[in-house]
Amino acid sequence: MSGVAKQQGKQMTQKRNLKRYLPLYLMALPGMLYLFINNYMPLPGLVLAFKKFNARKGIFKSDFVGFKNFKYLFATKDAFIITRNTILYNVIFIIVNTVLAIFVAILLAEMTSKIKKVYQSAILLPYMISMVIVSYLVFGFLSTENGFINNSILRPLGKDPVAWYMEKKYWPFILVFVSAWKGVGYNCVIYLASILGIDRSIYESAAIDGASKWQQIFKITIPMLKTTIVMLTLLAIGRIFYSDFGLFYQVPQNQGALFSVTNTIDTYVYRGLLELGDMSMSSAAGLYQSIVGFILVLGSNLVVKKIDPDYALF
Amino acid sequence: MRKKIVSLLLTATVSAMLLAGCGSSAETAATTTDTKTATDTVEAGDTAAAGDVAMQAIADRKAEAEKTGEYKKVVISFFDWTGRPAGLDRVNAALSAHTEETLGLDVELQIIDSAAYGDDMKLMLSSGEQVDLFNTCILGYSTCINNGYVLDLEENNMYADYCKGIQSKIREDYIDACRVGGVLYGVPPIKDYAIETCAVCIGQEYLDGIGYDVSKLPVGDLGYPKATWDDINDIYAQLHEKYPDKHVMATQDNILTQGSSVDNLAGDYYGTLLDPMNSLKVENVYESDIFKDWCQRTYEWNQAGYISQDALTDDTGASAKVKSGSYMAMMACCKPGYKTQISGECGRDMVVFDVGESFMGSASVSQFPWCINQNTEDPVAAIQVLDALYTDPVIENLMCWGEEGKEYQVNADGTIKYADGVDANNSEYYPNVLWLMPNPYVAYVWEGDPLDLGQQIADFNDNCTCKSKALGFTWDNTDYASEFTALKNAYDEYAPKLVHGFVDPETGISELNEALKAAGLDDYMAAKQAALDAWAKENGIQ
Repeated sequence: MSGVAKQQGKQMTQKRNLKRYLPLYLMALPGMLYLFINNYMPLPGLVLAFKKFNARKGIFKSDFVGFKNFKYLFATKDAFIITRNTILYNVIFIIVNTVLAIFVAILLAEMTSKIKKVYQSAILLPYMISMVIVSYLVFGFLSTENGFINNSILRPLGKDPVAWYMEKKYWPFILVFVSAWKGVGYNCVIYLASILGIDRSIYESAAIDGASKWQQIFKITIPMLKTTIVMLTLLAIGRIFYSDFGLFYQVPQNQGALFSVTNTIDTYVYRGLLELGDMSMSSAAGLYQSIVGFILVLGSNLVVKKIDPDYALF
Repeated sequence: MRKKIVSLLLTATVSAMLLAGCGSSAETAATTTDTKTATDTVEAGDTAAAGDVAMQAIADRKAEAEKTGEYKKVVISFFDWTGRPAGLDRVNAALSAHTEETLGLDVELQIIDSAAYGDDMKLMLSSGEQVDLFNTCILGYSTCINNGYVLDLEENNMYADYCKGIQSKIREDYIDACRVGGVLYGVPPIKDYAIETCAVCIGQEYLDGIGYDVSKLPVGDLGYPKATWDDINDIYAQLHEKYPDKHVMATQDNILTQGSSVDNLAGDYYGTLLDPMNSLKVENVYESDIFKDWCQRTYEWNQAGYISQDALTDDTGASAKVKSGSYMAMMACCKPGYKTQISGECGRDMVVFDVGESFMGSASVSQFPWCINQNTEDPVAAIQVLDALYTDPVIENLMCWGEEGKEYQVNADGTIKYADGVDANNSEYYPNVLWLMPNPYVAYVWEGDPLDLGQQIADFNDNCTCKSKALGFTWDNTDYASEFTALKNAYDEYAPKLVHGFVDPETGISELNEALKAAGLDDYMAAKQAALDAWAKENGIQ
């Protein structure tokens, strides 16, 4: 008897839920449609990665060539360099940008004055600037002849000017710096929102118990942010095989002399395909990046789940 | 709530637009196939004699247009430097008015900014949008063939039947140079196939400033002062002294392409013919004296302070740099009529010093032929328009110069100049890509150039003493994509520093060669040699 009742009850709740959430589903519908059209409908096109594209025959009738299109990604000695650069830079970006974002978010949250909004906007501004413009801002600093650093800092100090775009050793720092400067405003927004969502009474009781500001930050704020940190980091890991194309292509001004420290999978593929114009090879590169990214997200989520199921994404 | 509704509406509109976009393109695709089968049947049933076929096709189209009240349209795509000209619709209307009479169809020029041309065309060619005729410059002729974008012009005997004009205008060996694997996919624009290497162009005003007397130099075959590198170095030194605030030379990565007679076999410089007139041996140019001498030259210029310290990062074109007024000289390659062209590009009177020699490389003819889209609705209409582009002065004048009275006016001597109140900046139609046009020599000649420019160019081509033995060979690197990418990376890493003179050639050149060899240069060159040998055997070239 209880089984039937349960069954009925379940159906009732399902129905009620459907009715209750119908407006939400409706609201999501256009977005879902968009997602379907934009992200799912082109999926069959992935077969292009295994074919030699020929416009006469069309995507689906072109000849299969197996994994030949993937060969060029791995065949060369550059493969190691570009993979290393892509992963290491992304790891550094994840660490530096997360720490900085949390730091700035806490500063902003603690700020009570009215100019907080000004700070927040000012810090967000670089995120809105196109990489092409950023590359010229950087060039304004680093230009050998007219750059700010050479002309206004090094020369007055009596030091020799540096040909920035020919010296590899500075670029890992420059790129990390530019990435942090550009991204911190945006990255801190979500952390700031999470911090503001923390129940104030926790802080009040801590204050009553005599906790200092430092203690409040390290014992309350950061532990409370853990879920957000884990989630955002997981998402970032999913994109670890992608690089910020603008950052690695535009900011070093596409300088060959810097390739060994600025070449990533994206820029390598772009440069290669710019010359060759081969659609099948670009799909192969895209497919490879997506699959590795997919595996990485699933993998790291699994690891997190093992450690603490509450923090896992799904 | 209101915000939510707004966002909902926005998303809905976006999705609707997306859907609409998909719908319409699917429709066009459908109609394209319909008409294609229709024309196929017409062609199959047509058994008229070759000479009348062309006239018959025109008459058929006219009859059909009379029935439907609408003319068939042929779209021609090419690029210019500034994007779609403001007066394009007007020019297209004038073109169509003419071609409705002569060919029984409408013609629409589609002019795209050079920066966007490659990507836009690839999208259009692979998505089925209407483009009938297009130029393969920027896209790459072999890329177009490999991707199957282009139509075999000799399909159904089309070239023989409908291209009588082209056959009379272009020598057969030039046409043959555009064959790839025996198949003719395109016809070359009529232009200077030969080049005169190493033309050093210096602003007249700067030469006047140092009081340099050009007339003391001998005059070369092309009518330009013939100079040696010592002469040029001497001029540079004086320029540098007189104008210390300006850079003497706008260097570019063109020392092999424009500054040497090394044949890159219609592809890349990883494996070249160093002596293309006499030998078909593929060699590494970066180990040769030709490259070394050039690097030594730029290195000395750089040491002397003639070259901008930002030369590596500033990829503005050399003529634009000279136009800006902070650079005085540049190196290019020249041809008859080049002084007018470069003076226009640099915005000042330029003196062209002829330091090199004439040369016709293997790719010179087949660099960027005009092709027909394989997806074209009516191949016969397209090929008839292509033929008319080479022969019809009315079409060619409109395409090159715009409308008489609006863009240009005719001088008493038969040359043309800007119409009153019009100049390069406010002209509504001035694509400035004469070298890309199918046959600019049936059109008017610009003021300042000789009236027989076409003949001069033809002579220049015919008299070229350094014609590569590999003329017509095209190196297809599709099977060596990974090697090519690796070589390109190695080149980009080590060569620009040398080319712009930032490193001592003694050390720089060996670094470059090590990197190229590590990237697989030897294998790549061997593959090239094999392909070239096979081609030579097929064509009976020793």
